[in-house]
Amino acid sequence: MVVYSFYIFDRHAECIYKRRWLPRPTSIVGKSRSNTVTDAPPTGLGQTVRSTDDDSKLVFGTVFSLRNMVRKLGGEEDNFVSFTTSQYKLHYYETPTNTKFVMLTDLKSPSMRIALQQIYINLFVEYVVKNPLSPTEHPGGVGVNNELFEESLEQFVQTRVLS
Amino acid sequence: MAAPHRHATMQSMSNGGISSGSDRPQQHSQLSQQSPGLRVPSNRKTIYDRHLNRTRTAELSRASFAFLFGEMVTYAQRRVTGIQDLEKRLNEQGYPLGLRLLDLLFYRSTSTSSSALSSSSTSSSPPNRPLRIITLLHLIHGPLWRLLFGRAADALEHSVSPDTPNEYMITDNDPMVNTYVSAPRDMSMLNCAAYVAGIIEGVCDGCGFETKVSAHNQPTELWPSRTVFLVRFGDPVMEREKVLERAGVK
Amino acid sequence: MPSNPRGVFSLIIINKAGGLIYQREFQSGLRNLSTNDYLVLAGTFHGVHAITRSITPKIPIAQPAPSTTSTGTAAPAASGYSYPNPGVPVSGLDYLETDKFRLTCFQTLTGTKFLLFTDPLTGGVDAIIQRIYELYADYVMKNPFYQIEMPVRCEAFDRHLGAWLRGRT
Repeated sequence: MVVYSFYIFDRHAECIYKRRWLPRPTSIVGKSRSNTVTDAPPTGLGQTVRSTDDDSKLVFGTVFSLRNMVRKLGGEEDNFVSFTTSQYKLHYYETPTNTKFVMLTDLKSPSMRIALQQIYINLFVEYVVKNPLSPTEHPGGVGVNNELFEESLEQFVQTRVLS
Repeated sequence: MAAPHRHATMQSMSNGGISSGSDRPQQHSQLSQQSPGLRVPSNRKTIYDRHLNRTRTAELSRASFAFLFGEMVTYAQRRVTGIQDLEKRLNEQGYPLGLRLLDLLFYRSTSTSSSALSSSSTSSSPPNRPLRIITLLHLIHGPLWRLLFGRAADALEHSVSPDTPNEYMITDNDPMVNTYVSAPRDMSMLNCAAYVAGIIEGVCDGCGFETKVSAHNQPTELWPSRTVFLVRFGDPVMEREKVLERAGVK
Repeated sequence: MPSNPRGVFSLIIINKAGGLIYQREFQSGLRNLSTNDYLVLAGTFHGVHAITRSITPKIPIAQPAPSTTSTGTAAPAASGYSYPNPGVPVSGLDYLETDKFRLTCFQTLTGTKFLLFTDPLTGGVDAIIQRIYELYADYVMKNPFYQIEMPVRCEAFDRHLGAWLRGRT
């Protein structure tokens, strides 16, 4: 399976973390991790940064609308889990504190709900919430993009992809 | 440039070609250059060269018919005053078809019986034009229905009321014309099979029976679009029927 | 035995402009919404469907230059990326899964959307939706009294749809 991107939205509907994994172009052989593009620290390339910024807003709008639609139809205790198009699959997990975890993968991916929950419990809570240097709110992603969290997220996704 | 084209069009029309007017003269001129008048396929056989019986078992697209019929209903709906007016228009569209269809129906029934004659000389005489009401109704119930819809109608009844001895009922449990039709609620009385009623009327008139035919909804649980065609023969027909009965004509 | 073994909760048809033209419940299982809520839902879904299509991940096509920054600088090139499943046309949301139901969206080539809400365990949803499309093409589009893009009020469509979903036909 392939993971395309990962987003965290806080309860103020702000995107506090986003990261994209671009699959290796098929014609380049032998390069493994160097083409992992992290967008959290601005790379200085105006074009890509803006487009991912817009993307995150669109992703938020989508999951927000769908979550509300699901609650309306299925009742308050129903949860929006995932959706599929002909090209990708979007997984969604929402914590009781309204923090939203979104992951875009390829179609072969199994349900990532547990995985997103693990990212929340084992990575986000451990390395962001419990981090004494991290603020309680994360405007603009402050405190989320710390080394420990990013490194372990990278590892987590890598093991998932390989498994 | 325009003049020769127009001339060519005139020529093609004078040659008996089917032309829908001269709004596209260029196209017509091209046609007339290849073949004046009718469009002739490469094997020089037009549809008119084909034997009339050959298309008897040919299947037609039900969807094409449904869309065509839908357009006919839409067309008939323009500037109508009410449901009865709409049914009258559909009836009028069916009437000429019935008149023309009758010839084909007779042609085919005679040609089949003549082939039967050649095989067995004991066969009954070739069918004539129906003279009595019952023969006519059987013709409609059986051969006409099979020609139109590929199956016989479902029931043929005579009115039980002594006041209306001139009324007969032909029932179709699921009229093909109504397969895809859902009349809006405010027009629940409408039955688009009025078109078929018009065909029946045309056939009866063609046989020399003055008739009024109307289509009525008689839904049952099993057959939601069951339709009864009420055939009302005129008084002269009933009088003639009595004379023929006395004369023993069958 | 349940009256509806296929586990189909309800059906919504949205026209190409995002307007609700048909809504029918077959089996209770979802909360009932007012007509107005359904209209809003149809409009919202119409928009979300378009967005889910536009956020399809774009995979950069390998540039001849070996440097990693080439993907950024070569952005104006329209052919600089491909989609994950290059052979398949890009679609919007096809399936949505929640704890309680599964939403299948089928968009016709003419832009009409059929939204089928089923039990998450119901199988053969694609076949069901194809059959519904077929019934729609027959009993709605061939009905002379149906005005295109307008709400569907076709008794024959309702009847055949209900009968088929009950497993008679």
